[in-house]
Amino acid sequence: MLKPLFTSLAVSLGSLALASSALADYPQRNIQGTIQWGAGGATDNVVRSLTPHVEEILGTTIVLTNRPGGTGVIGMNHVMRQRADGYNMLFGAENPQLYPLMGLADFTYDDMHTVNIIGQGLVVIAAPENSPFDSFAELLEYAHENPNELRMGGTGAGGLPSTVHAMINAVDELDVRTVTFGGDGPGITAMLGGHIDFMPLSLAAAGEQIRGGKLKGLAILTAEEIESLPGVPPITEALPDIEGFLPWGPFWGVFVHQDTPDEIKATLEDAYEQAVGKEEFTEFLQNFGAEPLNLRGEEAQEYLSNWQSVTAWSMYEADADALEATPEELGIPRP
Amino acid sequence: MSDTLSFLLMAWLNPGLLGLTALGVLAGIYIGAIPGLSVTMAVSILISFTFSWHIDNALALMVGIYVGGVYGGSRTAILLNIPGAPSAVTTAFDGYPLAQRGEAGRAIGLSTVMSVIGGLIGVLVLAGTAPYLSGLALQFAPRDYFLIAVLGLLLVSSLSGKSLSRGIFSVALGGIIGLVGMDMVTAQPRLTLGQMELLGGIHYVVVMIGLFGVAEALYQLHNLAKVPVKQKVDKIVPPLNMVLKFLPLSVRTSVIGVIVGALPGTGGDIASLFAYDHAKRSVKNPTRPFGEGAYEGLVAPETANNAAVGGAYVPMLTLGMPGDAVTAVIIGALVIHGLNPGPMLMIETPHIFWFTVGNLALANIFLLIFGLTGIKIFSKIVEVPKAVLIPLILVLCVVGTYSINSNMTEVYWMLGFGILGYWLKVFGFQMGPIILGVILGPLLDESYRQAMSSVGDRGGDFLLALVTNPLSLVLTSVITLVLLSNTPLKGWLSRRFGRS
Repeated sequence: MLKPLFTSLAVSLGSLALASSALADYPQRNIQGTIQWGAGGATDNVVRSLTPHVEEILGTTIVLTNRPGGTGVIGMNHVMRQRADGYNMLFGAENPQLYPLMGLADFTYDDMHTVNIIGQGLVVIAAPENSPFDSFAELLEYAHENPNELRMGGTGAGGLPSTVHAMINAVDELDVRTVTFGGDGPGITAMLGGHIDFMPLSLAAAGEQIRGGKLKGLAILTAEEIESLPGVPPITEALPDIEGFLPWGPFWGVFVHQDTPDEIKATLEDAYEQAVGKEEFTEFLQNFGAEPLNLRGEEAQEYLSNWQSVTAWSMYEADADALEATPEELGIPRP
Repeated sequence: MSDTLSFLLMAWLNPGLLGLTALGVLAGIYIGAIPGLSVTMAVSILISFTFSWHIDNALALMVGIYVGGVYGGSRTAILLNIPGAPSAVTTAFDGYPLAQRGEAGRAIGLSTVMSVIGGLIGVLVLAGTAPYLSGLALQFAPRDYFLIAVLGLLLVSSLSGKSLSRGIFSVALGGIIGLVGMDMVTAQPRLTLGQMELLGGIHYVVVMIGLFGVAEALYQLHNLAKVPVKQKVDKIVPPLNMVLKFLPLSVRTSVIGVIVGALPGTGGDIASLFAYDHAKRSVKNPTRPFGEGAYEGLVAPETANNAAVGGAYVPMLTLGMPGDAVTAVIIGALVIHGLNPGPMLMIETPHIFWFTVGNLALANIFLLIFGLTGIKIFSKIVEVPKAVLIPLILVLCVVGTYSINSNMTEVYWMLGFGILGYWLKVFGFQMGPIILGVILGPLLDESYRQAMSSVGDRGGDFLLALVTNPLSLVLTSVITLVLLSNTPLKGWLSRRFGRS
């Protein structure tokens, strides 16, 4: 009679001890990291250069897997279906904040826990080196006189160029032909060959081409000129009203399952805060054409909501028909 | 000049770099031989692994894996009729029949030597003409990629075997498979049946492993009683006169490989298809009919896909733009190591260019050494009893598919394609045209829509552009000629004008 009782007591005590030690000693084994974009892309580059620093701090290995496809839906869906034990992390870019708007999925980063918003990329509107335009103002003027003639490189609905295009259209009118490419890389290649006239791009992708003189920077999507790209005017010079949307750019972040134990969330947040703050990594980001943010907790949440509301409403104002739902229906507040 | 020479020989003279290149080639051969394990994947894993290394060491290892991996795909294609990578699909067409004749050793030996010749021609072109070739590659507008895809569709006549109508059906089927996923322009789900997992489309390697691996394994069940062919393993290294005989063909197919490889939108897989087609059209008296073990059918794709490696490095080193998926990952590695891959790369870090050229040449030498050793043991795979071999193939197919994106759904798709492929085989359909469709479908879709939106969606302007631009005109004329040569018009023309 007593024996089974003792056994069950011992078992429950044992499992209790196990459970608490699992929390205390996290991480005990390798962590699986899912990158929602393909190998060699911007997200991949940022994550792969950050991870060794985090591994050093946590004292474990983070196994990185690229699960691209569906603008990141597949990778994010995978991580959300894993156990909430802190051994599965998602490394993602800005896209999930627009999934419901685009009708791609019904979840956003609000359905996960944000460990860290690593940094934000700068955006530059670039043109081929022999382009007749020297600034975005000139291009805009030409487009006003010749609607639907210039060819703009895009990466599809919900991609960075389409969002920037939407912001411009929310405050002005830019009627162009959009030529869609599989990503920044193929778009730049087409622009180098003169097959498109301009394209909004992340500075990470276009910076070297501008520095090497193969592309021309028409405007940088900031309110002021930046140090690393001298001579490229801020977009507010051509479009002062766009300042309400700024600062804006693609971002990268680290996320775990919402139901992950708080201790583990804290351990990860501490580790990532320390790793992103490392001088070596900060330098990498700046060289990469991005600015470090290193946000966690409330601040990170605020950043995500703000990004979502600015982007969603500018897209809505530019072309409501292209969206699957209105920001209002989704409860996204006006900026 | 002395600088150039010292950079060129860097990998040859430094024991550490020499060792890493050798290690990379060896590892690459085996990674490439397993369907689903891809060079792209191996190189991206290496990025984290080599994070703290010196960049030269990391690059040496990656070059080795790249060269070894592209070659490795041919091993399983010849021995088991299961290409290890899409660029080895055409290698199986004549490689596997050779193995069935007991000439697996000879086939592997020949493919090794030809791969090295193709690889070295690729390196030469890279070293000599990189800036010009990348300039040419940039001239290709979306409409030109569209024309290349159309030209690619015409390869169906070379790949269909006996029944052209079955081939055309297969290409169309492949094209539809290739269109599954999110629409590139509107981000709308297309043919996904409401499945979130299908938003990313069906990876063409999944289709390839199913159609070639599982379907072949199932088909083998028909002749379980057949005693495996005893392999001749005495004449492995092809004699010099044989190599010399195929040299003109291999130079031509290498040039096809380099150019297709240098185009940022196409790679070794399309290059090897074009090369096979070229061999079939240009060689009047092959050693045996194509598809039954013609050496020419082995030489063409093997030279082309290895030459494409040198080609893929052309836009990467001169412009910082990737020539294919592997060079895209290598660019990522350069970024992470603090270099700035872009048009300034050759000016700011000139050693990277010549170091890579020297290293690629070195990797090809190692390929010759490793490729020609161990063939005897490899050839014995064909003699393994079916009861052991078939289960092994199935396990490899599952593991290989899962490792592409770590996605179980893709394994189910792979098995589904395996069963579909089996029935298609039973009814006399060829697998090659399906893969052709899967590869070309998305290219056709993408380039056609890009070309149309470039001209403001005006069909007339689009058609006009196909004949008013020099490059497009050349491609359009080639397509017209290929089409005409397959119609009765050709006979009529030669009768009418041939004699005069």
